[in-house]
Amino acid sequence: MDSSQFLAIENTLFTAVMVLYLASMVLYFVFFAMKNDRAAQIAGWVITAAFVLHTAALVVRGVGAGRLPLTNQYEFATSFAWGICLCFLVFVRKYHFRALGTFVTPVIFLLIGYAAMQSREVRELMPALRSNWLGIHVSTAIISYGAFGVSFAVSLMFLLKQGRENHDFWKKNIPDYDRLDIISYRAVSLGFLFLTFVIITGAIWAERAWGSYWSWDPKETWSLITWIIYAIYLHLRLNKGWRGRRAAWFAVIGFVCVLFTYIGVNTFIPGIHSYA
Amino acid sequence: MDRWKKAGRFLCSMKCAVILLVVLAAACTAGSLLPQGQTAAYYTANYAESLAGAILLFHLDDVFHCWWFVGLTIFLCANLLACNVLRFPALRKRMKEGFTATKRIAEWDGVPAAVTAEEPEEIFKRLGFRNVTRGVMAVTRPTQTEAAGPESVPARYAVRHRIGVWGAWLCHLGMLVIIAGFGLGQMFQVQYSVYGVPGQTKPIGDTGYELRIDDFRVKLREDDTVEQYETDMTVTRAGENSAAAGASGTETAETGITGAAEASETAGAAGAAGTFATSETAETVGTVSVNHPLTIRGMKFYQNSTGWAANVQIYKGSELLQEGVICAGEYALVEDMEGLAVVLNAFYPDYVRGADGMPATASSALNNPGYLYTLYYNDRILGMNVLTEDEIITVEDYGIRFTDPQQYTLIQIKRDPFTPVAAAGGLLVMLSLVLAFYLPPEEVWAVQRSDGLWALAGRSRKEGAYFLEELAKYGGKAPAGSPAEAGNEQTE
Ligand code: HEM
Repeated sequence: MDSSQFLAIENTLFTAVMVLYLASMVLYFVFFAMKNDRAAQIAGWVITAAFVLHTAALVVRGVGAGRLPLTNQYEFATSFAWGICLCFLVFVRKYHFRALGTFVTPVIFLLIGYAAMQSREVRELMPALRSNWLGIHVSTAIISYGAFGVSFAVSLMFLLKQGRENHDFWKKNIPDYDRLDIISYRAVSLGFLFLTFVIITGAIWAERAWGSYWSWDPKETWSLITWIIYAIYLHLRLNKGWRGRRAAWFAVIGFVCVLFTYIGVNTFIPGIHSYA
Repeated sequence: MDRWKKAGRFLCSMKCAVILLVVLAAACTAGSLLPQGQTAAYYTANYAESLAGAILLFHLDDVFHCWWFVGLTIFLCANLLACNVLRFPALRKRMKEGFTATKRIAEWDGVPAAVTAEEPEEIFKRLGFRNVTRGVMAVTRPTQTEAAGPESVPARYAVRHRIGVWGAWLCHLGMLVIIAGFGLGQMFQVQYSVYGVPGQTKPIGDTGYELRIDDFRVKLREDDTVEQYETDMTVTRAGENSAAAGASGTETAETGITGAAEASETAGAAGAAGTFATSETAETVGTVSVNHPLTIRGMKFYQNSTGWAANVQIYKGSELLQEGVICAGEYALVEDMEGLAVVLNAFYPDYVRGADGMPATASSALNNPGYLYTLYYNDRILGMNVLTEDEIITVEDYGIRFTDPQQYTLIQIKRDPFTPVAAAGGLLVMLSLVLAFYLPPEEVWAVQRSDGLWALAGRSRKEGAYFLEELAKYGGKAPAGSPAEAGNEQTE
């Protein structure tokens, strides 16, 4: 098979994945709006299937391109969505918390939609991008962003829960504040650890490619800003009075920074990272 | 005095740290959104007057190097250091003796995660705890009167991941090391760049070394995209290289290449990150390419970029007066006529005139070389135009032409002895975060109730209620028929 055939297969898989994510999102909404448990159960299967096909799509693209599929906006957007889905599945398994799907699937769907709008052409890499550190740098970014996506969804639920504490559905399906806080914290911990890997591997790569491990390039600076926001979150949680609501706000702002680092910086600020 | 103490305590506090981090994040935002390092005129031209004034007043045109940003970073470091120094004794105590069963159980609010007939040691081991301590605990039962005093009951206790206590502390230390390494690097690093075409030898700043470019290759793929840029180069002490430098370009380049091949054979172990070898004449020969820098005599060499150069020839009548290579952006002085100079502003390998009338290149292939030049006489511009391959500029008796376009290589050279310090800090932060988040200290304990069943409890700062659920899962349910007096044990 030549590379165009691989890409054709990837195209089909990608379309299927998009439809499945959309279906799971609708089902999670049905679960939430109509309080239908069965819908949540089916949504769980659908999103698992989507994840499996999504993994296959990425593998096929990687084989077709002859390298890790992590180098342009399309590849990173679809991998980013994959990362959130992975973290979502892990957290759902660990904390038995299905309602999370209602908040996570829209984020996944938005990213997959963004990916669909990007060019899917496989381009050869410029010399600076031909580095093993790039592979490590971007794969760690996917896990990190995925985990932050989950913490964003959980924190949003935390903030929305206020005033709804006594609704039966919320009582039954949404964990109490303490537990939401813990789940969000565990997701931020994972994301923060990996974001640290991202920044450090990025610095190593920049040092080898450009001769300077930190040059305040906008993308570097924004990843640092994101990292600081989450560091603030971690410290806020240590103080009983700041825990919960205030920390939840920082987790939400943190994810907005993640999105800005990824999409906004390329769109609004020129810099050496403009290619990815 | 009291006020000073209060201020001191605030400066060492986490509250202060959070405020500092918020301000630093805001400063970084400003630094990334506002163009940095432009002239004052740029800001006044592009922003409203008051905003431009504020930008200049607060140094927002160079946020990352201005005094208040550096000051805040130093403040954060002092805060971090104070935090670590102040917390050290408590952490050491916690590590050494804080986890005694008595103390923990005395703090326990008495609600067990599970009640079981099974020996707790087995349960704790299944949960992943080793070294379960058996002992007795002083417990006051609610059914007893206060006067009866506590009763000694059998107890079990286990702890794991004590080392995790140090996670945050080491992370703070790592941050201090990174910032120190970066800051010292900024102060003491030296950087040079050398560019040229094969055959040229140029000094590396004031280091006393020279760099000779032996060969430069632009490797293209089939689709004409660049795969790699590679420079073969020789580093020598200034002066030692003079014979080679005087020779004609191509010859030097050739000897350079063979030199490189021989040398790297003798130093077969030089590895993948560029290859180099040192010959007896104290020459160091090596190859650098993008992503594969090379360290020679404490200096690190990077393949940075490339551009176009050309041979410039100056004639008087039909007699060739002088000849030499200049890179785009450089000038050549006409030696025979003081004050006359030509600048090669830009080069277009496949020259076309764009729709807007401006010169452009149709491709990266050398199909139709076009040289954009400016001619000066005593700082006055005599002319500016694009010259193609066979055209000649004439000024009085003089003729100037460009030939033999070729790509030059730009090598960046850097010496920063503090990079390893920052790298060590980075490694420390990564490891410490694994400690802080994934090896948090966790403890479990059990006390035997009056009915002989064991009440299990535990704590984990990370997993909170979920840890207790896990414990309950492993501990199982209370055997049927046992009184459901889950929370009845009162400890003191
Ligand atoms: C760049 C600056 C900083 C970074 C990256 C950082 C990072 C961290 C991290 C990752 C944790 C662990 C959080 C957790 O376990 O949930 C932590 C905990 C903590 N940090 Fe920081 N920190 C910084 C600055 C500071 C400063 C300046 C202070 C104090 C004045 C401080 C005080 C603390 C305290 C008291 C803890 C709790 C320690 C413990 O649980 O043993 N931090 N920090």
